[in-house]
Amino acid sequence: MNAVKISHITKKFADVTAIDDLSLNIESGKITGLIGADGSGKTTLIRLIIGMLVAESGKISALGLDPVTQKFELNKLIGYMPQKFGLYEDLTVIENLRLYADLKGVPHDFEKLLEFTSLKKFQKRLAGALSGGMKQKLGLACVLLGSPKFLLLDEPSVGVDPVSRRDLIKMVRDLISSTTTVLWSTAYLDEAHRFDTAVVMNKGKIIYEGKPTELAKTSEEFENKIIDLMGGYKKTESPIAKNYVYSHTEDVAYTVVADNLEKRYGDFYAVRNNSFNIEKGEIFGLLGPNGAGKSTSFKMMCGLLKPTSGTAQIMGIDIQKNPEKARSNLGYMAQKFSLYESITLEQNLNFFAEIYEVPKEELKSRVDEIMNVFDFKKIKEQKTGDLPLGFKQKLSMACALIHNPPILFLDEPTSGVDVLTRRDFWNHITSLAQKGVTVLVTTHFMDEAEYCDRISLFYKGEAIAIGTPNELKKQVNAKSMEEAFINLIKESDAK
Amino acid sequence: MKILRALVRKEFLQIIRDPSSIVISFVLPLISILIFMYGINMDAVRVTLGIKNNDNSHEIARLVNSFGQSNYMNSIVSDDMNVLTQKIVRSKIKGIISIPNDFSKKLETGRAADLMLITDGSEVNTANYSQNYVIQISNQWLATSKYAFLMKPQIVNPVTRTWYNQESNGYFFVLPGSIAITMTMIGILLTALVVAREWERGTMEALLSTKVTKIHIVLGKYIPYFCLGMISMIFNLILCIGIFRVPFRGNYFVLLFVSALFLFTCMGIGLLISSKFKNQFLASQLSLGIGFLPALLLSGLIFPINSMPEILQHLTKLLPPRHYITFIESEFMAGTVWPVVLKCSALLIILGTTFFIAVYKSTDMRLPND
Repeated sequence: MNAVKISHITKKFADVTAIDDLSLNIESGKITGLIGADGSGKTTLIRLIIGMLVAESGKISALGLDPVTQKFELNKLIGYMPQKFGLYEDLTVIENLRLYADLKGVPHDFEKLLEFTSLKKFQKRLAGALSGGMKQKLGLACVLLGSPKFLLLDEPSVGVDPVSRRDLIKMVRDLISSTTTVLWSTAYLDEAHRFDTAVVMNKGKIIYEGKPTELAKTSEEFENKIIDLMGGYKKTESPIAKNYVYSHTEDVAYTVVADNLEKRYGDFYAVRNNSFNIEKGEIFGLLGPNGAGKSTSFKMMCGLLKPTSGTAQIMGIDIQKNPEKARSNLGYMAQKFSLYESITLEQNLNFFAEIYEVPKEELKSRVDEIMNVFDFKKIKEQKTGDLPLGFKQKLSMACALIHNPPILFLDEPTSGVDVLTRRDFWNHITSLAQKGVTVLVTTHFMDEAEYCDRISLFYKGEAIAIGTPNELKKQVNAKSMEEAFINLIKESDAK
Repeated sequence: MKILRALVRKEFLQIIRDPSSIVISFVLPLISILIFMYGINMDAVRVTLGIKNNDNSHEIARLVNSFGQSNYMNSIVSDDMNVLTQKIVRSKIKGIISIPNDFSKKLETGRAADLMLITDGSEVNTANYSQNYVIQISNQWLATSKYAFLMKPQIVNPVTRTWYNQESNGYFFVLPGSIAITMTMIGILLTALVVAREWERGTMEALLSTKVTKIHIVLGKYIPYFCLGMISMIFNLILCIGIFRVPFRGNYFVLLFVSALFLFTCMGIGLLISSKFKNQFLASQLSLGIGFLPALLLSGLIFPINSMPEILQHLTKLLPPRHYITFIESEFMAGTVWPVVLKCSALLIILGTTFFIAVYKSTDMRLPND
């Protein structure tokens, strides 16, 4: 039995084809994972299935209904959790539940849900004041009201730590009946193994559909298989690293030093006792869930945020005492795309070359060279805002490298890009490190931790473990980085 | 019904928790009334003029004195024209009166005598006032001087009475009008933000996947903000009548009834902006442009509609505040005038219903295609 039948649908937004002649059946009573990078078409597909959007061509049948003409009838049978969970942040937990119960016409009987989601104690708290994990559980509780036949969850696990992610799928399995169909979208390939069926999307098309365990035994292998399906990744010599000239002769024991960094907001410690030393040519990863203090540490390291106490040194220069000089050794790639979208690619590069004080006579040749290396020549006249996400990320990196810095700070450089681009990025990063560049990088992809020489694991504002990936895994007898992470957090919570 | 009740209750809870809607409803009227009361002064003002007198006769000295002693005028006397010109450049004085040396001689012989008045054209209103004052004061002087025989006897003598506002008190008529402007702003701004907010925060998408229908969404926004708007309206009236003692000669029920119609119309504009643009920043900018500016400039409160170009005069009929200002001014100052009340109500009902239908039509039950 199929809950959803999709045949040959196409959906375009302006010039962009979001869904490209896609056909798919979703089995009843199963949890189907919809997996893909940002912009691969997951959200559009979910919205088409429930009639929030209408396709240009093709046909969809959901629970035997046509979402275009029978949207209202379909609404009565589904539970849909949009991205950002659809909660009213200025209403309390119980008020949100009451509202959605009334809208679905079901009695105010929340005992079981509150119990399961462990939100009972927080009933009177505003939804906006809940942690990410709790918001997600409340969002889930709201869509589960009225026992819908078909549950659609759009990236419920984004931005939450691996522990909460595991809890969430368990909660769904416990609370639905055996006939409920679930469609669950996620950007994390490593989540694929939790679902009964995995549907992997790329550029509006389905590139894999089937039992995840049939494709690969472990989630790491799964990712490799998916890369093969996308055409495979051939590791070649990184032209970026090849062209990099390490020209810094300063003799320092450690290129990057964090000395007891601490950031306090009132009584709340965003970061406390953060110390580490990074050697020349080392890749040092800051790992942890959102809100753990990674970005705060990062901003203090490059002098964008004043620490409450402690300091940091870049190439032996104190970032507090001499911020300009310290920063001149840095290439910084911010988490959010922070280039100017309304000017062309080349203009962005020129601008960054100027503010990083590349000497005037070298400027033109330097920008030309970096455009050659990154293969930007053909698109140099394009408006930056119109570039695909992968190119934007590459351009951010090019801007960070324009002045040949000895140190690179990368804040979540790979979020939102597909697996292939991610592999490519890490090839550049590791090759640059071999040339002597020191890299400080944050990520919430557990598998990326394996590329780092050393990792500092962040949780609730503190580094709960520092070491090589293997050391950390050994420390808690874990097979994968994700398992190590979960065990280390549990250990920390137990304390 | 249950769904509508749940949506209205939700909206009220959000109003209570969101300081911005409270600020819009109660602080904005207070500030606006204070500005209209003290900031915008349309009454006659006291001006300072410079005097250069070249005629040394005794009688002319009395004229110079009377320029200085008027309630509406101060004067600075100087023999050096340059000094006075400097002062006018620095805006210390608003004009110069120059009396030529043959002034009394001409009067003596029964001829017309000229008096030069230079005014500062960069402030047209003040220039007009100065001109009137100078004419009045010199006529008064002439009537009491020894040249009084030169004045022609006046045959027609208009005696003016300012009805409905005997004291010609500017704010008696500006304050009720300012309520109209404030309420336009509040009606549009409150509702312009709320639908856009639901789209921005992604809650609209969640609502659209439940049993909620179009009329639920539309009424779920109209009802709570109508209640809030009426409370704000009453607050405005208390400020005007209770605190600033503007005389009210009309009927409170009529006032509230027409105000309710007016609010209904304004909310329609706000909701229309909000459901079309789905972005709080854009919605608030548009409310200023569509709501506040035309209400202030084209409603006839400050600039008379009669003096606008004809096309613009017709366009002002589409503005709800124009009709409401006509009504509220007459209700306050002249009492209930039924023809005005009925005409204004009919127009507001037509406009309000048109906006309501437009809001209903433009409420999306799916996501926009962009």
